[in-house]
Amino acid sequence: MSDKVATTESGSDLITIFVKTPKDKVEFSVPSGILIKDLKVKVSEKFKSTVEQLVIIFSGKILKDSESLNHHQIKDGHTMHLVIKSLPKNTQASTGANSSTTQTSSSGDQRQQQQQQQTNPQPAANPFDLFSGLGSGLGSFGSGNMMEMQQQMQRELMSNPQALQQIMENPFVQNMMSNPEILQQMMVNNPQMQQLMERNPEITHMLNNPQLMRQTMELARNPAMLQEMMRNQDRAMSNLESIPGGYNALRRMYTDIQEPMLNAAQDQFGQNPFSALVGDGSNSSDATATTQTIENTEPLPNPWSSGGRNASRTTAQSSAATTTTSTANSSSTGTPAAGSMFNTPAMQNLMQQITENPSMMQNMMNAPYMQNMMRSMSENPDLANQIFSQNPMFADNPQMREMMPAMLQQMQRPEMQTVFTNPRAMEALTQIQTSMQTLQREAPGLFPALGNTFGTNLSSTTTTSSTTGSSSTTTAPTSTSTTTSSATHQALLSQMMQTLATGGASRPQEPPETRYQAQLEQLSAMGFINREANIQALTRTNGNVNAAIELLLNARN
Amino acid sequence: MATSAAVLLLRKQLAELQKHPVDGFSAGLVDEVNIFKWEILIIGPADSLYDGGYFKAHMTFPEDYPQRPPKLKFISDIWHPNVGKDGMVCISILHEPGDDKYGYEKAAERWLPVHTVETIMVSVISLLCDPNDESPANVDAAKEFREDKKKFKRHVAKCVRKSQEEL
Repeated sequence: MSDKVATTESGSDLITIFVKTPKDKVEFSVPSGILIKDLKVKVSEKFKSTVEQLVIIFSGKILKDSESLNHHQIKDGHTMHLVIKSLPKNTQASTGANSSTTQTSSSGDQRQQQQQQQTNPQPAANPFDLFSGLGSGLGSFGSGNMMEMQQQMQRELMSNPQALQQIMENPFVQNMMSNPEILQQMMVNNPQMQQLMERNPEITHMLNNPQLMRQTMELARNPAMLQEMMRNQDRAMSNLESIPGGYNALRRMYTDIQEPMLNAAQDQFGQNPFSALVGDGSNSSDATATTQTIENTEPLPNPWSSGGRNASRTTAQSSAATTTTSTANSSSTGTPAAGSMFNTPAMQNLMQQITENPSMMQNMMNAPYMQNMMRSMSENPDLANQIFSQNPMFADNPQMREMMPAMLQQMQRPEMQTVFTNPRAMEALTQIQTSMQTLQREAPGLFPALGNTFGTNLSSTTTTSSTTGSSSTTTAPTSTSTTTSSATHQALLSQMMQTLATGGASRPQEPPETRYQAQLEQLSAMGFINREANIQALTRTNGNVNAAIELLLNARN
Repeated sequence: MATSAAVLLLRKQLAELQKHPVDGFSAGLVDEVNIFKWEILIIGPADSLYDGGYFKAHMTFPEDYPQRPPKLKFISDIWHPNVGKDGMVCISILHEPGDDKYGYEKAAERWLPVHTVETIMVSVISLLCDPNDESPANVDAAKEFREDKKKFKRHVAKCVRKSQEEL
């Protein structure tokens, strides 16, 4: 190198020039006649970069390697711009004739480094993309529960934004993430994700939407964005209200059924935008009280109780979700979702409220969808049976189950309906319930044998049984069973827990074969002949054919 | 007299820029004998879509500079809402002084004799980072910028590549 300088030095004076990047400015003492390519060699040493990365700019011109400082009239004290490029591709273009010789010197890992540099700033540099994606994404979240799912997802991602961000910035991960299919597979194979999917069928839909996936990834990369998005969702929720009729539908649903349900499921749903709509302190406190009594059982080593809790919680959520989406069509939700609805603590809580509040019962009975539901139940004894067998109350009480069809017919009769709509009759029913509670209070000796677990449960179940009983005007069997003996109770309760655990978990009323018949046919038409596996896959994916295929294919491999 | 004032002022600015150049651009003369025609090389700002590009522009000063503004025209192809398809940069501080006949801009936003090459270029570079689609010079680019960011980005990336090849 010193030889080179020596050759160009002859006949020239040393001048001091400055080379400036946006970050720093370095002084060079060079002969005035030095060639640019020689200057670049000097500069590259100082800036720790390869020669072909450098672009020297002076006086609005990019200096060419073959030219000298003299040629550009660069004099003592002048400052030149230096740009250090990051892409080897660019280098080829700019260095022209000399590039071929110098290019080979750049080592492989250096290039890799350059590529990384190039890929990293890309997402950050394009804030527009993120915004536009967000906009279109929000549009697709038509339904309320989709948003809930998103929120859940986000909460998971939020739990550790920094680490997540780092992972996301990794070029390898980015590469992978850009392929939604790989991502989808990854998600589907993740046990945690599977659990989530089982609990929330909407997640499966989400996984099948590559656009949504990409968005989520982008969100993960940018915690600030995430927060912004969550804020937007709250807004979207309030927008729902401003849709013509939307508010009314929401409110009606809310006052009739949703409120107690949503309250009970609130910890799952996070902040409930509805709660501001109707402020009823007593109701919400009731609801939380029930959930708490149930939650108390959790740490106790009772496999049924915890299982039952989870299962019923899930159903509470899903049924609440269904009703939210189909606000106006609540009559239709009455039938298929009813079975699971009756199982939920929220519903039981509702029942309790009904008896406490006769006018509410009256309202409910007068509501057209309720009558619709009753009619369909009486027209379809099977369905009614299913519903009642789902309900632990009825399931454990064969007498009651037998009574059901008759009761339904009775319910249809106008006299019966007048009983329900008659506040005084309701009051009488409430009295029965109160006296039962008194009995419980005054004669605690009846219960100690039940133990802690069942004790807490008992208080809630007895109230439910009495309320359901009262609504069906057949309080006799329950009340007697309560008072008979603690041993019967224990058996009854354990049975109940079992039904909660098993019956609640397999929430659907029909066996999967019939429920997913269409999907099953589709699968077998595609060549998946193992019916058992198909059913299993469909059950796991909640009937999503695409996701089921993925599962099946994965299982095969 | 006015001419020599302009010459003196421009010479001073040129000398200053050669000694203490400003980040983001480099300025010189197209032809050493004509102080009124400058050659500017804009280095695409690192935090913009134009990152990696080197855009050539010519700045032409009137003889009564600094009473009237210079004109700035991109020689390199550039796709930007505020740069016309002919390369003319549309920026309020380069508009003739006085009140806008359309009432869009206040006098203070327009040309003022205190502006130098440096202040103009700082404005232009900030415009690259943050296009103003309210008063577009290239309506197609502005529309794309507003409605189809992806296409806009592709267009810009093409310009950046082309500018690198032209070096």
